Amino acid sequence: MKRIGCFASLLIFATAIISFSFIAPKNKEKEIKNFSLKGVDNKVVSLSDYKDAKGFIIVFTCNKCPMAKLYTDRLNKINDKFKKQHVYVLAINSMDTLAYAEESFKLMQKKAKTDKLTVPYLQDKKQKVAKQFNATHTPQAFIIWKNNENKFNIKYQGAIDDNASEPEKAEHHYLIDSVDELLNKKNVTVAKSESFGCKIYYRGEKNKMN
Amino acid sequence: MKKSILIAITLFTVVSNAQYNNITIPEALYGTTFNLNIHESIRQIKTGNQTVTGSINNETFWGPTLFINKGAAVSFNVTNNLNEPTTLHWHGMHLPAVMDGGPHQIIPSGTVWQPYWTMNNNASTYWFHPHLHETTEEQITKGVGGLMIVNDPIESALPLPRTYGTDDIPIIMTSRNFDALNQFSVGRAYGDYMLTNGTMNGQIILPKQVVRLRILNAELERGYNLGFSDGRTFYVITNDGGLVNAPIAVTRLPVHVGERYEILVNLSNDTVGTSIDLKAYNSGQSNSFPGGEPGTAGQFGSLLNNTTFNVLHINVGATTTNPITAIPTTLTTNTYLTASDATVTRSVAITGGQNGGAVPFTFDNTIFNIATINKTLAANTTEKWTIANTPNAVFGHSFHIHDVQFKILTRSTGAVGAYESGWKDTFFISRNESVVFVARFADYSDATHPFMYHCHFSQHEDAGMMGQFVVSGPLSIAENSSTTSFSLYPNPTNDKLFIKLKDTATEIYYVTITTMQGRVAMMLPQPQWQNGIDISSLASGVYLLQMMDKETKSTTTRKFIKN
Repeated sequence: MKRIGCFASLLIFATAIISFSFIAPKNKEKEIKNFSLKGVDNKVVSLSDYKDAKGFIIVFTCNKCPMAKLYTDRLNKINDKFKKQHVYVLAINSMDTLAYAEESFKLMQKKAKTDKLTVPYLQDKKQKVAKQFNATHTPQAFIIWKNNENKFNIKYQGAIDDNASEPEKAEHHYLIDSVDELLNKKNVTVAKSESFGCKIYYRGEKNKMN
Repeated sequence: MKKSILIAITLFTVVSNAQYNNITIPEALYGTTFNLNIHESIRQIKTGNQTVTGSINNETFWGPTLFINKGAAVSFNVTNNLNEPTTLHWHGMHLPAVMDGGPHQIIPSGTVWQPYWTMNNNASTYWFHPHLHETTEEQITKGVGGLMIVNDPIESALPLPRTYGTDDIPIIMTSRNFDALNQFSVGRAYGDYMLTNGTMNGQIILPKQVVRLRILNAELERGYNLGFSDGRTFYVITNDGGLVNAPIAVTRLPVHVGERYEILVNLSNDTVGTSIDLKAYNSGQSNSFPGGEPGTAGQFGSLLNNTTFNVLHINVGATTTNPITAIPTTLTTNTYLTASDATVTRSVAITGGQNGGAVPFTFDNTIFNIATINKTLAANTTEKWTIANTPNAVFGHSFHIHDVQFKILTRSTGAVGAYESGWKDTFFISRNESVVFVARFADYSDATHPFMYHCHFSQHEDAGMMGQFVVSGPLSIAENSSTTSFSLYPNPTNDKLFIKLKDTATEIYYVTITTMQGRVAMMLPQPQWQNGIDISSLASGVYLLQMMDKETKSTTTRKFIKN
């Protein structure tokens, strides 16, 4: 078992080196356009509402996925850590509510209440925002950062950290580290990591049922 | 850097010898009605991050073991709580095609599927797994599946170990690949890490007596050439579909994807506190043995390829009360089908697979098409099938056919192994080999709904190495098309919904209940509707009930309200 851990670390280390030396400089930072989504408090939230935002941490999540459930508390903590520095967490549910009854707006409200979610929990009913980000999993984190032209670009995408159920054992805090780097006006060392969790299925896309 | 690798390897050598994990024994379920909830879950498989898995009920990989008596009327409430559609196929079972759980019985996310049938199969170990075309590899990789153990009076009367989890142990063999964050990765044919019942470096304590292992190869592609580390003889007591006549002594047992063997191992002469290993002696296997390829990386490589590796570390523990201490001499008397029983002869050619799999493997140069019935068989017929993996064969395959248990008659490459001389539903066919089997397609005719025959390597079947056959009954003359008009009562209702047919001769083939938004809530193949349909599990609201007429296959829809 030990070897596995070591190998995994080596692998992660190697991946980090590769992303740093090859991917990061060439990575085209995709621009994210302003969007507006309804939150569980029935208020519509837009990126443009946050006049002082340096950036956002956008986390695609959902009600049902066991992996996503493990990160609720961390979303609150990450938001608490960065909001004073004008970086805000937005949690977005882009699951197809027609296919998945458990992802309804009502149950989002229930989850926000039970889990004491302090960050906005927004419904992307038409899956347009998820498509803009090319989100694939729940949970999946993105950092978007304001550039000189007041536009938001993706600076990081992937996992929040590398231990879902035992956060204290996480060895890599990809998301937090990247925000710290950005706040210190540095380049993001690991701009992309594997995201893991449940898949986001887009309505009307290649339907394997036929 | 080099130094750290050295340290890592040294550490591993020290730790790995001592480090075993107790294998999971899936929960046992008994009875005639089984509620199976398929869902995503997380499991600590490797050190570090947890892995997203697929499982059923309380498991975190794989599903419960269902114990069923032969002759019992069994019914299932299969709820798909995955984030994607799936199917659940009852591998090895003889049942109506519409209950079979093949690629046609798609269970959308959030839907309950209610198949039922009378258990016809003999005592043996069977299994269930997803069978959704083009998605099988992914869902099997996640770990969705489970064992079904059928009991019958013949088996129950034998002096065999049958205390589940103590001297009667399920062994579900798979291997997996992981990405940097410990998630299963899909795409390569063979896993780098062996999982026994979802556990890495698995171990178990087994009592000092005769023990029974129910072995399933639940792999994507790898074969296992099983044996014990001290070379001891062990005994095959079942093939896929039932007991063999007498225990078959072996020292090596090749188990390929989809196959099950129950074996007896005598630990009576072992010392308590000692250990032996069940291993896959895959080192030195040929290039057409799945997992015999020498490479460690790439599409067909793996760290386990062409190596001998542990499947289960067995620690010998104390003898239980009433132990089985001897291997029985006889088990049952099978009346096997012979070549002369067959009145119909068919052949299926394995084709494709060239250019490293760029050309998909196929049967008879025809890629699977869900709308095409490849073969129409008559009910009440015994058939002889020749599967030919020749000429210019590229690789070996695990051939599986639904609906029946067959008897292998010949292998062109030599004698049929004694260990595979019983009732089978799956066999390995190597390169440049032809295998002939005989099977009886007795009943359950359904001219519309097909059964499958396919390669059980998930990548092969997903890519189209699959065919469909229907078993057709005596041709019924279409009567004046019956009106499928019906009404539902009481409406609104709380728990039971009754159907009143306008034409009482109408036979109901399928009922589907959907929400007004179009989400399928319940799927009821050939429902036993006369006593009402239990809709108590539905949320309050308006639903549509669609009924398909058995004869015309036309559908009619009615609205009802659930209070």
